[in-house]
Amino acid sequence: MKKIMHLLLLSCKKATELIEKKSLVGLSFRERVQLNIHKSVCEACTAYEKQSIKIDELMQKHIQAEGSGPDNTGSNTQLKEKIITKLPQT
Amino acid sequence: MDINNPGTTVKCWVDMYADNMYSWALYKTGNKEIAEDLVQDCFIAAFQAMEKFSGKSDVKTWLFAILNNKIAEYFRKQFRSSRVFTSEGTATSNFFEADGSWLKNQRPQEWTDDETQLLDNNEFKKILQSCMDNLPGHWNAALQLKYLEEKKGEIICQELGITATNFWQVLHRAKLQLRKCLENHWFNK
Repeated sequence: MKKIMHLLLLSCKKATELIEKKSLVGLSFRERVQLNIHKSVCEACTAYEKQSIKIDELMQKHIQAEGSGPDNTGSNTQLKEKIITKLPQT
Repeated sequence: MDINNPGTTVKCWVDMYADNMYSWALYKTGNKEIAEDLVQDCFIAAFQAMEKFSGKSDVKTWLFAILNNKIAEYFRKQFRSSRVFTSEGTATSNFFEADGSWLKNQRPQEWTDDETQLLDNNEFKKILQSCMDNLPGHWNAALQLKYLEEKKGEIICQELGITATNFWQVLHRAKLQLRKCLENHWFNK
């Protein structure tokens, strides 16, 4: 029975893979239908997708957030000098 | 800007922006030497591309765009080199049965936390960062690449020289792990 279900409805592992694929490159028509049918009978994967989208949003903001890093550690004179000496000479 | 003397101009930029750029690179890579090298490369690239710049955009924005490119390049290298050493196959067996259904104790359930401004919470940010740091190197690199630049998935894969399938499968593993970590340490703590 489980086997038939997986054939028709995808396994949860496959469904969560499609959820990831969806956010990266999008799904084909067939995949979209398969995933939607799977979610309609699987609470776990429905919850997973919601959480996955939430994580995507958080990560996007967290990773792109300029200046959310450690406080500027002050002027790094040594580094600046090093950079300048390595610049091509004019 | 004195185009006739690019050397002086770049030196001036180093003085003004190197500190900020270094903190950003350090925050992204977590490694002082790598961060220094990236900032260094960035100024060399800026020096060489000076003519193309010609004041069209804000200097700082331009330098940070170069830096972000260098950082992405670093993560691409990281992705390629560490990939061989970690196995992907076993990773999903922590979550799924052999037939692909969720392990009983791993089935996702709704999270109770509905805070919307999570990233204003320093405690949460710390946990998110440490969950990312705990991922195998190339998984972390894959995530960085996905979110660092707003590029289409296809383009990221092209630059990595892997198929899209390969890339989202790595992201899938990384996401499972990251989700679990956040759940354990924050959402269902």
